[in-house]
This record gives sequence, structure tokens and C-alpha cells, in this order.
Amino acid sequence: MFLRLVADSFTRRPRRKLLTGAALALGMAVVTAAFSVSLDVGDRLAHEFRGLGANLLVTPQADSLPLEIGGVDYRPANAGAYLPERDLGKLKTIFWRNNIVGFAPVMELPVEVSGKVPPAPAESTTAAIKTTLIGTWAHRSITLPDGHEYVTGMEKTNSWWNVEGRWFADDSQECVVGKSFAARANVKLGDAVHIISGGHDTNLTVTGILSGGGPEDDAIVAPLQIAQLLADKPGEYRRLYVSALTKPEDDFGRRSPSTMNAVELERWSCSPYASSIAYQIKQVLPGADARVIRRVAEGEGSILTRVRTLLWLATLAAMLAAALAVGASSAAAVIERRSEIGLMKAIGAGSGTIGFLLAAEQLLLALVGGGVGYAVGIVLARQLGQKIFGVAPEPSLLVFIVVLALAGAVTLLGSAIPLHRAARYEPAPILRGE
Amino acid sequence: MPDRKMFWRIVRRLFAAQRGRLLVILLALGAGAALTAALLNIQIDAKTRLTKEFRAFGTNVIVAPRETGASAPALLDEAVVRQVREFHAPPQSSAISDLYVVVDASSSRTNLSSKVVVAGKRWEFPPAMSVRGSLKGAPLAQDSKENICVVGSKVTEQLHVQLGDSLRLQNSGREEACVAMIAPARGDEEDNQISTTLEAAQRLAALPEKISLMQLNVSGTPREIRDYIAALAQHVPGADVHGLRQFTDAEAKIYNRISGLLTSTIILVLALTGLCVMAAMTNVAMERKNDVGLMKAIGGATRRVLRLFLAEAALLGLAGGVIGGAAGLLLSIWLGKSVFGVAARPRLIVYPVSVGLTILVAIISAYPLRRLANISPASVFRGES
Repeated sequence: MFLRLVADSFTRRPRRKLLTGAALALGMAVVTAAFSVSLDVGDRLAHEFRGLGANLLVTPQADSLPLEIGGVDYRPANAGAYLPERDLGKLKTIFWRNNIVGFAPVMELPVEVSGKVPPAPAESTTAAIKTTLIGTWAHRSITLPDGHEYVTGMEKTNSWWNVEGRWFADDSQECVVGKSFAARANVKLGDAVHIISGGHDTNLTVTGILSGGGPEDDAIVAPLQIAQLLADKPGEYRRLYVSALTKPEDDFGRRSPSTMNAVELERWSCSPYASSIAYQIKQVLPGADARVIRRVAEGEGSILTRVRTLLWLATLAAMLAAALAVGASSAAAVIERRSEIGLMKAIGAGSGTIGFLLAAEQLLLALVGGGVGYAVGIVLARQLGQKIFGVAPEPSLLVFIVVLALAGAVTLLGSAIPLHRAARYEPAPILRGE
Repeated sequence: MPDRKMFWRIVRRLFAAQRGRLLVILLALGAGAALTAALLNIQIDAKTRLTKEFRAFGTNVIVAPRETGASAPALLDEAVVRQVREFHAPPQSSAISDLYVVVDASSSRTNLSSKVVVAGKRWEFPPAMSVRGSLKGAPLAQDSKENICVVGSKVTEQLHVQLGDSLRLQNSGREEACVAMIAPARGDEEDNQISTTLEAAQRLAALPEKISLMQLNVSGTPREIRDYIAALAQHVPGADVHGLRQFTDAEAKIYNRISGLLTSTIILVLALTGLCVMAAMTNVAMERKNDVGLMKAIGGATRRVLRLFLAEAALLGLAGGVIGGAAGLLLSIWLGKSVFGVAARPRLIVYPVSVGLTILVAIISAYPLRRLANISPASVFRGES
């Protein structure tokens, strides 16, 4: 009889039920969308922030002081310490290996460019031009200790470097030149330049003109092995830039690992703080010192935290609005059925039974509406994610559960007040139509 | 106009007759208006706040010599600094002039020495700020008796410098002494430098009135920064003005993403708020059945009856909007404080907009009332539904 009553109420007034259900579904759809996007936004934005480039810097521990002005090291090639290139694959073996988006080793050395090859007739007498050669990886494929291939290099760490033409191949006699240098030395795409450093010299073909807004605009960027050859340091590099996805540092993250006990150290290492990733890099690269590039990491951290809080606020607001909407419409649904309640009471139903009946009805509606709303909301969230970030958020079970629970709670709460009132109704006046 | 008088009298009566119900609707409308106002205000505020947050990335514009010298690093004249200073920068922007010189630095306590880059720095605007915020609350004394220098973390390690040590900086016979302050590790080239006053560096390098470059931290939206760079480049023809693409590019991208995100969530929440108000208004419409029947029975024209209810809805919207909008603005001040640490400034434009939106939504939500036009009075009086 109970089920029959419920079924009856749905079939008798499908339109009214549809309206309440639609309000529910719409509200829940918006909540689903806002919730999914909020859950996803941290990861998405963290990826966006990698556009800022490396947030970790690895240098040799026993290094002498770099004489760095405007990002260019003015030390001669034989001063200071170097790190072995062959260890770099180990970076992808640390606990947070999947957070490492890219890395690129760098070796800089002062060089002289003694004109083009073959020399242009009018310029055959031009003096050698001093500049810096930055040896690095453009997009180098390395074999990891576990046998996988991994492609990394400047293309990943310095995505703002804009190359007109193309990057050099890492195993070739090619280079890209900064745009100010290109203007200064009158070098064009396809030219070959003759480069001298110390006792070594080589010819490189220009495959691209680089603009980055930094010191690289006045330098030559070439494969790392060319720099190693010119500096007579085979298989070594001076600096390593690592770009990693990190968690904004809180007070705990800023503590020094040496002051922690075992449990704290474990928790610290298992959070992707920039400093804990730096700590792990130090452990796998012997003789290296890994530092967090504060300028990048801190700006990123504060913006990420703020945007995330802001979005959670908006999600909360969406939930509140949805709760109000659904609550109001389910209250309306109960108020409307006053005469029905009166009739049921008149023929002997207790307040509890009636409450139970109406609550069951509302709950059924909430589940159906919430389910439909979730489906619509996921589509909406995918659209939004695609439009804003180019990547759609994955549907998550958590959102589904939260949405259904919210839908149920809100409809029950919305109907509770009128139901409470209904319990006190006297059947007689209602049936008289008063 | 007795007609109009009657109209308002009926409206007044409508309100008086159902105080409890109206309170519920007013609450819904008010809550909607409050959410709208709070979110709109936060939205406008967040965008300007974000541009300020981006300043955490530091320097984003560089004024450098046009040509890099072939042998020695090229220099800028301080005349350029004056040009940049007199050019109007966006508020909250800052600028430093730098002169780099390689010196032999030695600590008097440990007698260790090394070649170090000394960066002479002078804040150009705004006046009196701490050195790059890297030393909290320790301003680089421009006029104290003793020179103070800020020692980068790598230099500290190398020379075993301690706070308060006296350092000797020497370059081709010229010498400066300063008291060391230790900077925390930053992970960039400042770790390898000793920062001191521009004047001391100029004396060391024997380059009076010269600087290596200016570092500007320009505040604003990516577009404002781009415009500023272009305008400054025109104003200072003697130097090369360019943005640090590493930061300007990423900032522009991230800014666009975040503001897109904010806008879409706001639209979603606004749609929901509308829905909420609509649900509440539909209730009223249903309740009004008997009234409509009665009015029609005593000769009220459908249009007039409808107008009556629309006026009621608009009045409700106005009241809800005025109360809710004010509450929302207050809410946003508090929210801004909890998100950005600074209270959001209430924008006056938000208030009329949210009141207007609430009235609009209230009137649109009264749409179901149209169904009442088809009610035949007789069936209402017979008690049919």
C-alpha cells in the first residue's frame, strides 16, 4: 500500500513532480560542475605555473662562487666544479618522479664568434664577436634506469623561449642564436657560424632565432655536447634546471628536515613541497646541491592557495544557492498537498506515517534529480574545463556521493518544516477548504 | 487618480495579508541578492588582487643598455633613471637601479677572500622599501654612517660570513668596507652576490653616474604591463626596455585562466540564485489562485490583475535586493579578508547591479502567474484545483 501511494503520487501529478525534479537536477548540476572544477583546478593551475619554468636549481656542492651577472656566468670554463651528465636519469627514480615535468642541464662558456662560414665578402675582415655559448638539451630523449624513454630539455623547462625556425637536434652541429646576437653579428637562419673557445673550435649551423627576453637573447644556444667539447669537459654540466609540480609550502613545509623526527620526516618527504623534492634530488645526485628558486616557487604558492580558496568559496556559494532553491521547491511541494494530508489524517493515518510517506517521496525525487543533475553537471564541468584549461576534469566518485547526499539532505530539510506544520493540521478545516 | 490609489491599496493589502509567506520570499530574494553582490564584488576585487599577487614574482620589466658592449658589459647613464622616474608608472610598481662590479671580497674575521659580484642597488620608486622583501623589515640604510651590505647565501657559505661581520670589497686599488647582513637562500643569482648601495658600487667601479640596468616590478593586468612597456620604450629611446618573457608570458596565461574560471563560476552561481528565487516565487503564484478568482469575479480585467501581481513581485525584488545587496557587500568584505588577507573594497557599481538583477529575477519568476489569467473564477469558488 505504501509503495502504491508513492507510485500514485508520481503518476497522478507528473508535471508538478517534473518541475520540482528539474529544479533539483539543475541545482545539483551546477553544484557538480563547480565542485568538479574546484577539485581539479589545483592540478590544472600547477601545470599552468610550470610555464614559469624551473622552480629547482641544482649546482655542484663544491663549486666556487659563480660570477653571475644578468644570468650569465663570467667564470672561465676551467674554474669551479661540474656534475656528471650520466646521473641525470636518476632524477626520474625519486619518490616524486611523476611530479618532475622536465629538466635541462646547462653549461655556459665564453666564446668568440669569428664570422660566418663561408665568410661574406664584405665582412671578411670583421673582428671576432664575444658572446656566451649556452650548452643544453633542446628535447633530448634519455633512457631511464627502468628502461623507459623520457624526453626532456629546454622546450619543456623554458616554454617561453620562442624559436623562430626550429630547435637544434641534440646530436648535431646545429645551434639557435638569440635575436640580439643575430642582429649584432648579422646572422640569419641557415648560416653557419665559426666558434672558438680556448684551443677548440667548431662550425655550427643556425637553425633558429631565439627570443626569450633574458640574457639568452644575446647568446648562442647549442647542444650540451658541443659546449662540453669546447670546454674540454666531456659528459659534464654546470647547472641543472628542474621544473616540478609542487604543493604550496606551509609552515610545516618550510621546516628544515634536520629538525624533524622520523614520523615528521616521513610526512614531509611524502608531500610534494618544493623543498622536499629538492632534498630527494640531493640524495640521488651525488655531489650536488639542490635549491628552491624562491622567486618562482613562492609566487606560485601564494597565487595557487588564493585561487583555490576563492573557488571553494564559489562552490560553497553554489551549494548554498542550490540548497535554498531545492529546499524552497520541496517545501512548496508539501504545502501544495495540504488537502491530501488532511484527507489521510481524516481516514486515520498518523502524523508519523504521513511524514514517512512524504519523506520517501521526496527522497526518491532527490535521488533521481540528483543523479540526472550529476550527469548534466559532469558534461558542464567537462565543457568548462575544456574551455578554460583545454583539459576536461575526470568524473570523480567523491563528487557523485557528495551531490547525492546534498540533494537528499536538502530536500528532506526543505520538506521538514512544512511537514512539521502538517503534523499539527486539523483535518476538518482543511477538508472544508479553509 | 482614484484608480492608481486603489491599485496601491490592493498591493498594500496583499503584503499585509500574508506576512509569514512574504517573509520567506523576501528571505530567498535577499539571500540571492546577497550572494550576487558578494560574488560580483569578490570577482571584481579578485582580478585586481591577482595582479598584485603576481608581483610576488618580482622583476618583470628590464631597462638595459641598447647594445651589449663587445668587451666590457655596457652601461646606462643615470639620465635614463631620471627619465624612467618621471614617467608615470602604474601604482604599486617599484624600480631598482643596479650596477654590477666584480670585486675581491674578504671577511675581516676569517681572512677568507674570493671574487664576488657586487650588486649596487638603489630604490628609485616607491621610496623607502626593504631590499626586495628578502630581508623582512630590514631596510637597506641609504644614509647610515656605516655601509651595510646584504650577503647572498652562497657567498655566506664560501666566506663563512656571520651577521655583523665587517667585509672589505676591493677592486683595482679602490676599497669599500661594509657590515654584513645575511640574506636567506633564494635560488637565483642573488645567492652569489653581495648587495650594497649603488653609490658604493659606483665608487668601487670608478663609474660615477652609471648603472648596469634597471629592474622594474610593474603592477597591473598583462595588458596594462604590455602597454606600459611600449610607452616607456618610446619615452626612453636611449635604452632597451623589455619584459621578462618568463614572467610576463606565464602571468598573462595564468591570469586569463583564472579570470575565465572566476567568471564562469560567478555565472553558474547567478543562474542558481535565479533558480532559487524562482522556486520561491512559484509558491506565491500558486497561493494566489483564490485571490485571482475573486478579483476576476468582481470584474477585474486580466491585465490589471496581472499588473497587480507583477508590482508585488517587483516590490519584493526591490526590498530583497536592497537588504540582500547590502548584506552581500558586507559579506564580501569579510570574504576578501579571509581569501586575500585584505578586505575587499566594496564597489558601488555592484550595489545597483545586484538590486536590478534581483528585481529582474523576481519579475521573471512571476511568470507562472500568467497561468492564473486562464483561471475561471467559477472553478476556483467551487474549490476545484
